[in-house]
Order: sequence, then structure tokens, then C-alpha cells
Amino acid sequence: MHNTPELLGLQMRHLIVLAQRDLYNFSEARNPYMNAERTLQRLRETLFSIQAVGEQLTRQHAVSQLSNQTPASVFLGHPAIPPITPTPPLQFYQQNLRDLTVEELATFDGKNGRPAYVAVNGVVYDVTNNRAWAAATHFALTAGKDHSGAFASCHAGQESILTTLPVAGRLV
Amino acid sequence: MEGYILPPETLTNEAIASRLKNEVNEQIRQGLIKKRNLVYLELNGCSGNIISLLNGQNPDFEYTLNSMVNLRYSNSLMAAEGEQAIEQLMEVLDEDYILAVEGAVALKNDGLYNVIGRWKGEPFTGLQAAQMLGEKASHILAVGACATHGGVSAAKPNPSESVGLQTVLPDRNIIKLTGCPVNPDWFLGTLAHILLYGEPETDNLNRPLMFYSTLIHDRCPRRPFFDRGIFAEKLGDKTCLFKLGCRGPVTRVDCPTRQWNGHVNWPVGASTPCIGCASFGFPDAMEPFVSYDTTRIVQDE
Repeated sequence: MHNTPELLGLQMRHLIVLAQRDLYNFSEARNPYMNAERTLQRLRETLFSIQAVGEQLTRQHAVSQLSNQTPASVFLGHPAIPPITPTPPLQFYQQNLRDLTVEELATFDGKNGRPAYVAVNGVVYDVTNNRAWAAATHFALTAGKDHSGAFASCHAGQESILTTLPVAGRLV
Repeated sequence: MEGYILPPETLTNEAIASRLKNEVNEQIRQGLIKKRNLVYLELNGCSGNIISLLNGQNPDFEYTLNSMVNLRYSNSLMAAEGEQAIEQLMEVLDEDYILAVEGAVALKNDGLYNVIGRWKGEPFTGLQAAQMLGEKASHILAVGACATHGGVSAAKPNPSESVGLQTVLPDRNIIKLTGCPVNPDWFLGTLAHILLYGEPETDNLNRPLMFYSTLIHDRCPRRPFFDRGIFAEKLGDKTCLFKLGCRGPVTRVDCPTRQWNGHVNWPVGASTPCIGCASFGFPDAMEPFVSYDTTRIVQDE
């Protein structure tokens, strides 16, 4: 599975929102039931993931730059120093981002142990464990479909709901 | 009394409703407020709400109701029958009254799918009653899911073309007590609030905040199981019922703390998922009520 820069960017944005939320919880200490240790651990993992996604982006950028350049030349009799390769990305919190067609999306209907995905405005979200999606259904909507229209009519101006959902990929 | 610091009043759900009821009785006894007339209409439904209300206790529902208001008309509770009963209903029209409506309004064939009596030899439909009484009432309470949005009566395929009360009274402010059926406290508490202070504070869907402000999920005694991802696999399991289709996370009402049948138990307490009966859209939008074929075993893709 090749992660396009666009998908990586999407994932990065999601991770940053997660981190911001955890930081907010910490700084305000509003929630007396917050498990500090677990939140800290999640924050740590989110940061690792941000680092990993960032490195993937850098590497892809470097590869695209390299392909634009002329073949490696010889500099003063020495072979050109190869570009620094980033360390392999850490696998913390790494999701399988993928491009899904409508037909593929339909298989993620939350039945028989399959995950429950829904698409809104071209982005596929994972609602498997979302509390408003008990039994992979939500106010007569079922998982495995594009619900952009329903979202617009019921949650207009509440796009923040989407930022709390794990991104599973993109609808193509 | 000045200078004394009184102990705080109990703020439990049960206390709020019973304090309202006791306060009304006390003020009526002292002559500070007057009893108002109440018309309780039963339209197109199953009479489940009046049955649920009869479950109210300490003191019993009928006593509570009669000591708070003059119950002028109720399909189920009044002694009069036939045209005589409808005559009593018509007499109220010239007076001040609070209207409570249970059941949906059937629109098909000019309302002939729901006839509640006969008036001057003609069938008297629920549609006529709702419009006639709704226009003149000082306050209107829609009691139960059928009255608030159509509920079970308007579920697909809706052969009687039933609608909620608001559809036939578009210009009236209607307090909506959702639920299938309503808890006696939700009805009596709201009624007492109207007598004492006027209409209670409501949310954007016109439900009284004192009963409908919290999500069931947020006060569910099984919430720790949800947070730790421990889910029930079948009805009767004692863990979180989310994966079976529990609608607690989208349903706003105080069932977990108020409970039913004289504050004894409630659906999740009996190990069956919340079916979201107090949500708008019930029942169609809350289905499936139970699903065994869901995301229990999450396989790695």
C-alpha cells in the first residue's frame, strides 16, 4: 500500500488534532476522571506517529526531488554523496490508509466482525468503536456507505465531529 | 429565617420531581396557587403512556393528578362515556386549561382512522380534537413518542398517515416529553413546574432540561466496561451492551438514575440494550434494537 502525500497529510492533521486535545485535557485538568498515565502514553504515541508520518513525507519529497534532478554527477573525482535517507518510520499508531471505491467501502459494513467505515466528503472514517454507531448503525444509517449528504443535513457547522474520528482512507 | 444557612436541597432526579409535586400540593393547600384544568387526550396510540402514568406511586398517580389539577377529560380515567364524555370535553373549551396529548394524530381520510367519540351523531376524530383543543390551550404537553414525533404509530409503512402533534399545531409551543412510554415523573414533574413557575426550560427540541439533559451513556452504570472495551456478546451479559446496538450513547434522558416501576429498574439494569425510545425518530431511526451480527470480533485487515 502506497501512502500518497495527500493521505499522509490527512493523517498528520488528524494526529495533530488528537495531540492538541490531549494537551488541552492536561492543561485544563477539567476532567477529573482523566487517566493521566494513559493520556500521556497516547500523547507519546501520537508524537511518534507524527514523527513517522513527517519522515515519510520528507522521504517522498526527497524521492520526487531526486527524480527531477540530473543523474548523480561526480564531484572533484569523488562520487556525489548520496542524499541522507531518513530512519525507517516507527510503526506506532500507524493506520492502513487506503483508497477505497464505493464497492470496497460497502464491504466495511461492521458485520461479522468486519470494521465499520463511513465516507464523508471523500474521506473514509472508521466508526467501528464510535459510541454513536452502536451495531454499525446510526439513526437509520448503516456503515459501509457514503453519508456526505446525511452529514451535511444533520451536522452542518459541526465538522469538528469528523476530526475526532480515525481516518481509514479516501473514497475514490 | 435570615442568618440561617439551610442544608442543601437534594438534587437527585427523584428529589427534583417529587419536590415539585409536593410544592404544588402545599401551595394549593395554602391557597397560593389555583388548581388548573387538565385535559388528557388519548389519540392514535396504544394507551401505553396512561398505563405507565398509572404506575406512578407514593402517592399514587390518580391522587397526585387530582390534587394538582382538575382532570376534566381523560379517555381512560373518566367515568362518563359516549357522547356524554365528549360533551364534558366541549365544556372545557370555554375555560382555561392545560392540554396533554398522548398518541399521534392520524391524518388519513380526514382523521377517520382515529375516532375518539361521537359528537352530535357524527364521528369525532382525533385530528379534530387535537386542532380544536390545541388552539385554545394555555400550555400543551406532547406525552410520549407518538405525540412528540409520530413514534410507533407513524413507523413505516404508516398506513394511518400518523404525524406528531406539532404537525397539526405548527404555531403552538409544545413541550415534548419523548419516551415510549413516558416516566410518570417526567409528566408529573413538568406539569407541576407549569403550575408553579410556568413552562420549564427546554432544549432546542423543546424537551424539559430537568429530565432530558444528559445522555444515558454518560450515567450508565456499565460505562466503565465501554471505556475498557469489554462488550456483551448476548442479551443478559452484564457488560457493556454497545456492540449489541445499545442506543444509550445517542439518547438524552435520565433513565439510569431515575429508573422505572417505582424507581426499581430500567432496561440496561435488566441486561437489555437501550432502544432509544426517548430519542426523536424512534422507532425507525433506532433500529435495529438488537444485533448479534456486528463488529464484536475485530479482525486485522
